[in-house]
Amino acid sequence: MLSFLVRRLLLGILTLFGVILITFILVRVVPSDPAAQWVGGRATPEQVEAAREELGLDKPIYVQLEHYIRDLLKGNLGYSLMTHQPIIKELKNRFPATLELVLISSIVALLIGLPLGLISAKAKNSWIDHFSRFFSIGAISIPTFWLALVLQLIFFMILEVLPSGGQLSMKIILFQDIPRVTGFMFLDSLITGNFVILKDFLKHLILPAICVGAYTIGLVARMTRSALLEILSEDYIKAARSYGLTERLILYSYALKNSLGPTTTVVTLAMGYALMNTFLVESIFSWPGIGKYVANAVTCLDYPAIIGITILGACAYIILNLITDIIISLDPRVKL
Amino acid sequence: MKKYYLLIVVTFLLFTFFAFTVIGNSQTDEFAFYAYNSTPVTDWDPSVEFSNGIVSLNNVYETLLRYDPLEDKFVKLLATDYTASSDGLTWTFTLRKGVKFHDGTELNADAVKFSIDRTIEMNMGASFIWAPVDRINVVDDYTVEFKLKYPAPLDLICSSGYAAFIMSPTAVKSHPDSWLTEGHEAGSGPYKLEKYQQERGEVILTWFEDYWGGWEGNHFKKAVIKDVSEAVTRRLIIEKGEADITIELPYEDITSLQDNKNINVLIGPSFQNLMLFFNTGKEPLNNKLVRQALSYAFPYQDVVSYCLEGYGRQGRGPIPYGLWGHSEELFQYKYDLNKAKELLEKAGYPEGGFKLLLTYLSGDEAERKTVELFKAKLAELNIDLEIRGMPWDSQWALARDNNLEKRQDIFIMYWWPDVCDPYCWLYSNFYSEEEPFFNLCYYKNKEFDSLADKAYKESGIDRDKATKTYIKAQDILMEDAPVVYIYDKKNVFFLNKTFQGFKDNPAYPNVVFFYDTYREK
Repeated sequence: MLSFLVRRLLLGILTLFGVILITFILVRVVPSDPAAQWVGGRATPEQVEAAREELGLDKPIYVQLEHYIRDLLKGNLGYSLMTHQPIIKELKNRFPATLELVLISSIVALLIGLPLGLISAKAKNSWIDHFSRFFSIGAISIPTFWLALVLQLIFFMILEVLPSGGQLSMKIILFQDIPRVTGFMFLDSLITGNFVILKDFLKHLILPAICVGAYTIGLVARMTRSALLEILSEDYIKAARSYGLTERLILYSYALKNSLGPTTTVVTLAMGYALMNTFLVESIFSWPGIGKYVANAVTCLDYPAIIGITILGACAYIILNLITDIIISLDPRVKL
Repeated sequence: MKKYYLLIVVTFLLFTFFAFTVIGNSQTDEFAFYAYNSTPVTDWDPSVEFSNGIVSLNNVYETLLRYDPLEDKFVKLLATDYTASSDGLTWTFTLRKGVKFHDGTELNADAVKFSIDRTIEMNMGASFIWAPVDRINVVDDYTVEFKLKYPAPLDLICSSGYAAFIMSPTAVKSHPDSWLTEGHEAGSGPYKLEKYQQERGEVILTWFEDYWGGWEGNHFKKAVIKDVSEAVTRRLIIEKGEADITIELPYEDITSLQDNKNINVLIGPSFQNLMLFFNTGKEPLNNKLVRQALSYAFPYQDVVSYCLEGYGRQGRGPIPYGLWGHSEELFQYKYDLNKAKELLEKAGYPEGGFKLLLTYLSGDEAERKTVELFKAKLAELNIDLEIRGMPWDSQWALARDNNLEKRQDIFIMYWWPDVCDPYCWLYSNFYSEEEPFFNLCYYKNKEFDSLADKAYKESGIDRDKATKTYIKAQDILMEDAPVVYIYDKKNVFFLNKTFQGFKDNPAYPNVVFFYDTYREK
């Protein structure tokens, strides 16, 4: 197990280096002038040249890469061309909100998707199975922005039971001290015992979490169903039945446990995808996460920010894959 | 296993019950809420910020003067009086007494000199507006003198919404350089920066008790500017009364919102215009007759009706309607395909038969619709227009490519003023440049250059005389047709009916001066 972890970690570092190298070269190939971006839209040519020198952009690209990697090893991702702020600080401020949204929506997705898949496998081809199929495929294929807009219209505009967006109400932001311990609002409000903020946060979380989680719910339900059906037709299940074990015991203790491998894989992949692709949901619900930052960095060709985000995304995928491998390895049939 | 699911279901129900409580109307008179369409500030350093931050900084900092272009008058802020010498080279400002910065120190001539010198030395953002200034002298505690290298309209420069802010030297000097950028301020404006949540796109302002203007009467004590980038969300919250003011909703929404009894729709001129820049250095657009033909082939009214739903007007020269230097007497091209055909024939292209590349900003729907309409009209002249959407940086980089042949034939972009001065258009967009910067029609005309320079110098001494010279310079542009002046955009603001006191000032695009606003009970 330990050698496996070391192997995967080394491979991860190598992957990360490859990602940095490719991204660094790609963003510099795109025609743009980072020095002009640094000084601002209408700066004079003299201002641009001064900035080019200051930022080291007048040096060959391999020298720039060397400087970048040296800084990176010290934990410095450089400065955003647009905001002139350290990228590490900007990511640190935004990433927890996205991670929190994705984690909570994934947990909710598991809580809904898993029983749904289980029920539909148990009652294959019954009306419940048909309903579950309709629901799951609908959740997977429904465009996220459309779902977000419809939910906002119904729950904010018509029913007036949920807020339009943001992480907290304006009154809370203006007139209360927002706790900041870990950067995760849910945890911070729990730790500090501020239940007014917790309640307000949960209210704001519901709609974005549904939108981010919809795809995963469908995916988990379908994946659980198909994995269970496959397992239920295997010889050891038949043997268990012939011993007279109850159907409930077979389903929960033998089949479900073994079906979790593929489900875990898709959930972690969906989480990794959601971490970098929540832009539409975050934009519609004004969620203060990383999605909008990603979109802004790309549209403005803020190359230090783009590389910073790519590194973060790559790290997230590497970690999630590692977690998946560890979970799967709990299955004795899997040899690492 | 059953009990686990029971637990999960109970937790879920509790969670739902806990969260689903009816939200009351959050509208109170305790704060004003501006739902802005983008990030409300990119850099808090007043010497550097040259972007959206204008909406936040103008409430926290003050300039010597504020310009009201619609009435062509200056409002005295930190200066109570000013004079210019007859040669326009010496400007003397008398400062307001008893003005305090947010750190408690007092405004004086040293602070003015420090602020502007700092902006010039930092050489970032819009610091170039101070190019005419040779040196700043402190005459006494409340008198400051500007010596210029050449005559220039210093009153307009001092009232710019960018790079003209006065800051507390004590606060700035006692912190590292990055302190301001990180989200601190050293202003004297009516509001202090209470909180800046960059990740939330939220700027929270709170009243500055010692503001020289006082707090008598009806004012907001807190104001919030928040990035609500989704137009649909902005519309929902203004309709629900959650936001007090918002901008940039789709033109199609305006009529229905005008019918909403809870919303005021305010429409006024903006100084933003959309222009097509012809590549005057490359065939066939190096031929004046071809450029004139294409100026006649442009469907101006269709664009205004279709892309702006009528909320704009055809441009008449580069200076937008409402700004001094604009003339209603100036020649204006009208859509006339027969005239265009005649001119093409004269230019040696009787059958059209050439191909042009136009670049526009990808994601800008108004630009895309505009160029699509132009493409359809050019097709009738047998001219093939290839339209290419690009990110701004790539679009601009292509326009500045060293190889002239690689550059686009037509470039479309908006322009708006950094200083409310016609020179801002004439110099940036048309003045001869060795290396292209924003003269993206690559226009070179010495007569025009000298007229523009002359007008700029005159504007520091005699505004009427300068206006006439600016009009002469624009006459040359209309004849040479390096640019198609598509439209002057209108500003549209959506206000909660209870939100009063707001007046649009196009010299400060999208800025809400919260001190002037109040809640009508």
